[in-house]
Amino acid sequence: MARLKGKNKIRDLLSGYSFMAPTIIILGCFLLLPIGYAIYLSFHKVNLLGTVSYKFTGTANFERMVDDPRLWIALRNTVKYALIVVPAQTILSLVLASILNMKLRYRNFFRVAFYLPTVTSSAVLVLIFMWIYNSNGLLNYILESFGLPTYNWLGDPSVALLGIMIMNIWSTAPLFMVIYLAALQDIPENLYEAADIDGANGWQKFWRITVPQLKPVTFYVVVMGIIGTFQLFDQSYIFSAGSGGPNNATLTMVLLIYQYAFKSMDMGYASALAFLLAVVIMLITLIQRLIFKEERLN
Amino acid sequence: MRSINRFRPLFYVLLSVYALVTFIPFLWALSASFKSLPEIVSGGIHFIPKHFTLDNYQTIFKQEPMFSRWFMNSAFIAISVTVFNLLFNSMAGYALARIRFPGSTLMFYSILAMIMIPGQLTIIPSYLIIKELGWLNSYQAIIVPMAAQATYIFMMRQFFISFPKELEEAAELDGLGRFGLFFKVVLPLAKPALAAQTIFIFMGAWNEFLKPLMLMSDKSMFTLSVGLNTFKGQYISFWNYIMAASIIMTIPALLIYIFFNRFFVQGITFTGTK
Amino acid sequence: MKQRLSTMLVLMLALVMVVSACGNNSKNGESASPSSSASNGASQSPAKEPVEVTLAGWGSSPEEQALLQQVLDEFQAKNPDVKVKYEVIADQYMDVIKTRLIGNEAPDLFYLDAFEAPALIEKDVLEPLDGYVTPEFDIDDFEAPTINAFKSGDGKLYGLPKDTSTLALFYNKKMFADAGITAPPTTWDELMSVSEKLTKKNGKKVEVYGLGQAPELARQMFMIKAFGGQLSDEQGMATFATPEAEKGLSLVIDQHTKANTAGQPSDVGAGWGGEMFGQQKAAMVIEGNWAIPYIQTNFKDVDFGTAEVPTVNGEKGTMAFTVAYVMNKNSKKKEAAWKLLSYLTGKEGMKTWTSKGFALPTRKSVSAELGYDKDALRGALVAGSSYATPWQAGSTLPTIMNNFNNQFVAAYTGGSSLTDALKKGQETANKEIKAAQ
Repeated sequence: MARLKGKNKIRDLLSGYSFMAPTIIILGCFLLLPIGYAIYLSFHKVNLLGTVSYKFTGTANFERMVDDPRLWIALRNTVKYALIVVPAQTILSLVLASILNMKLRYRNFFRVAFYLPTVTSSAVLVLIFMWIYNSNGLLNYILESFGLPTYNWLGDPSVALLGIMIMNIWSTAPLFMVIYLAALQDIPENLYEAADIDGANGWQKFWRITVPQLKPVTFYVVVMGIIGTFQLFDQSYIFSAGSGGPNNATLTMVLLIYQYAFKSMDMGYASALAFLLAVVIMLITLIQRLIFKEERLN
Repeated sequence: MRSINRFRPLFYVLLSVYALVTFIPFLWALSASFKSLPEIVSGGIHFIPKHFTLDNYQTIFKQEPMFSRWFMNSAFIAISVTVFNLLFNSMAGYALARIRFPGSTLMFYSILAMIMIPGQLTIIPSYLIIKELGWLNSYQAIIVPMAAQATYIFMMRQFFISFPKELEEAAELDGLGRFGLFFKVVLPLAKPALAAQTIFIFMGAWNEFLKPLMLMSDKSMFTLSVGLNTFKGQYISFWNYIMAASIIMTIPALLIYIFFNRFFVQGITFTGTK
Repeated sequence: MKQRLSTMLVLMLALVMVVSACGNNSKNGESASPSSSASNGASQSPAKEPVEVTLAGWGSSPEEQALLQQVLDEFQAKNPDVKVKYEVIADQYMDVIKTRLIGNEAPDLFYLDAFEAPALIEKDVLEPLDGYVTPEFDIDDFEAPTINAFKSGDGKLYGLPKDTSTLALFYNKKMFADAGITAPPTTWDELMSVSEKLTKKNGKKVEVYGLGQAPELARQMFMIKAFGGQLSDEQGMATFATPEAEKGLSLVIDQHTKANTAGQPSDVGAGWGGEMFGQQKAAMVIEGNWAIPYIQTNFKDVDFGTAEVPTVNGEKGTMAFTVAYVMNKNSKKKEAAWKLLSYLTGKEGMKTWTSKGFALPTRKSVSAELGYDKDALRGALVAGSSYATPWQAGSTLPTIMNNFNNQFVAAYTGGSSLTDALKKGQETANKEIKAAQ
């Protein structure tokens, strides 16, 4: 028996690593190596353009963070952004997927229509949203006709981030909707049949079977949502023409990192900031894993 | 069941409103692609072009002798990347979800960590690595680094975690090894997840912009996403061409989605809607 | 047994993939490197094979691309020993150029905006051109400010300007006539009072602004100078939070927030000033040469004129935007690259390039020959070049610009007072500049 177990272990080790081999090679070369290089840079004052020089500065790049007011603003914006966007897009995508999984008339039409924001190019999306958001635009027109207060959605710091949030929820929810749709197909039918026998209604089945069964995928959706929101760049870059304004309202972590890496060519500090960002996301993910502790390897 | 039926009209209203919200921007881009630049920038919103024109598409097809070449480049890259990813990501995701081996936890967290590092940081080091390999202006410069993607390895792992174990146990008793089990039992059952992966990876590779922008300087090696993006001056954007280009870019990704959607209906619908 | 077989299979697949990738590479390497072999060939036997020079620039309209191709074709017809490979960088131009410079894969010649020039000159990645310039090239023919923008502190020349544009006041002739205004404003006070007359409101909502503004540093730097303010000092530290600078900038802000006779394009759903003006949502805008062909082709029914930017504090002022061709210091084909560079910025090449009015020449002789100084629309732009503030300010400008724009927009939209905004912008900018040193 013990021998068998030992043999099994070796077998698992071999098969585990052979399953992982392509991934290890590819990610190792093209992701881990660049990241390793960036870690190295984060402890140096670097000049890459022209005369290449690396000056070891210890933790100076990390100490510099404490005194960087824009970093804390960016972090605060990013957290605020994630707190609203992640739950909103997760719920929206789950609801959309659940509805589209029913036997509805014109289901395929809706599935295609809902997916369109994802395939429409981001340059076009931004243009359209600029048109919707401007002071004389569609959104204010609608708000006005309902007697609600109007805003300068692009210029007003208090709502500029909200404008980006709405756009982001709208364009990422379809992605997660597809993942939920795929996951819904994997829920064993007999669970629902058993519930039918117990006389459960649709709502009860949704809460007692569907949601728990989707837990691992929800973990994925939430983690990816957090990563996506913490790495928000495109929209705030385009909306603020790269500055993060007005008054830092649309400044995000990655926009800050980009400004340092490419505009000031300060790769050392940019790398240090990126690691701070990664650590923050990792901590949030670990906390989530405690909440989502459904899964145990057999 | 009956409760759902009662809410059915409401469902349709909500669905239609949401469909309107998602459909209008696309329709607008589509109609703009048939307008001249003066009509687009003249302001106001009307969905039917006053002067319907095919000029934008013609300019793209004709003035760019490289168009078909770019299309082939994009297609080749996107298809290769998709095939490699389907295989490699599923294998890795399966191993991380189902096989207990030393280092698996470390690997899982490393993969998560890799997703968390913003890509803007690795642009320059990746460029240097690819340059050292002598891969600049080549297909492998884009295909190989994208052949396995941490994001979808993570996704596949999450899918495999909730897979029924009984099937595997039964198959194991039949004497299937891990690989036989994976290819003969697991993959065929994971069709919805594979379909989702195909949709995303194809779309991601098809739309990939930064990598070809950095790595391909030779016009003949451009992808469509880069080639069709040159209609932007320092001060002025040529929206007519940009819209036409964006429609051209959208179609293949949309077709893939429509085609693979069929894998999201084979399973079980949860409501007793009869 | 079966399992080992499949293990082998997968491992082999991975191996095949890596090998085939390398194999492809060698094939591709051959086809992709005629440039390097060409350069070797050239140094040994120049007659055999033409030298291939790469030239990189950003994207543009199909018409402009065709015009550039025409110039390049003319050059190649005259210089059969040089072949030009033109590369378009579709987006994020400077990021791509910097990355390629770091990887030592940059083109031999490339476009460079004056704004980015000091940083690249400081990094020593550009080839000084003084040694190449011959008397026949007639370097004194260039407008002095355009060429000075590409000189280092010690006077070395690193780029030759290919084209330039200042800003001028564009005004809608019909709106002016309707409001009974006979001539474009010449002073800023006049500008404010005609803006008042030209602004059309529907209740509280402004439908047509008197003046379309661009609240960003690139367009407003001359306003900082108008009352003696300065953007930055010799050390590259920001110095724009002074009463002098504020005085000029408050003219911009107050007209928007207090008088409400000026607005930015996004206030009316336009993308930029030219579009705002074309859509007749602004009676006046301050824009550059690029707006002329744009308005002419896209808004045919808009009858407009141009005038020099009205004087502020009794002084003329405007901005100048210049782009040059620069040579990569690590280029292996500098001789051929110079041939192309001197043709493109020579009298002949520049004449073709600027002949259609997409861009204004930097050579006085070409400008005179094409008659732009007397042109009804372009005369004001040409006149501005003698007193324009070049859009450039040392290697720290990107940091300064970022922080200025970030805060200036907040003041523009009424989120904070101009004094506070400038102070905050300057403090943050200087903190970042110091930390980076």
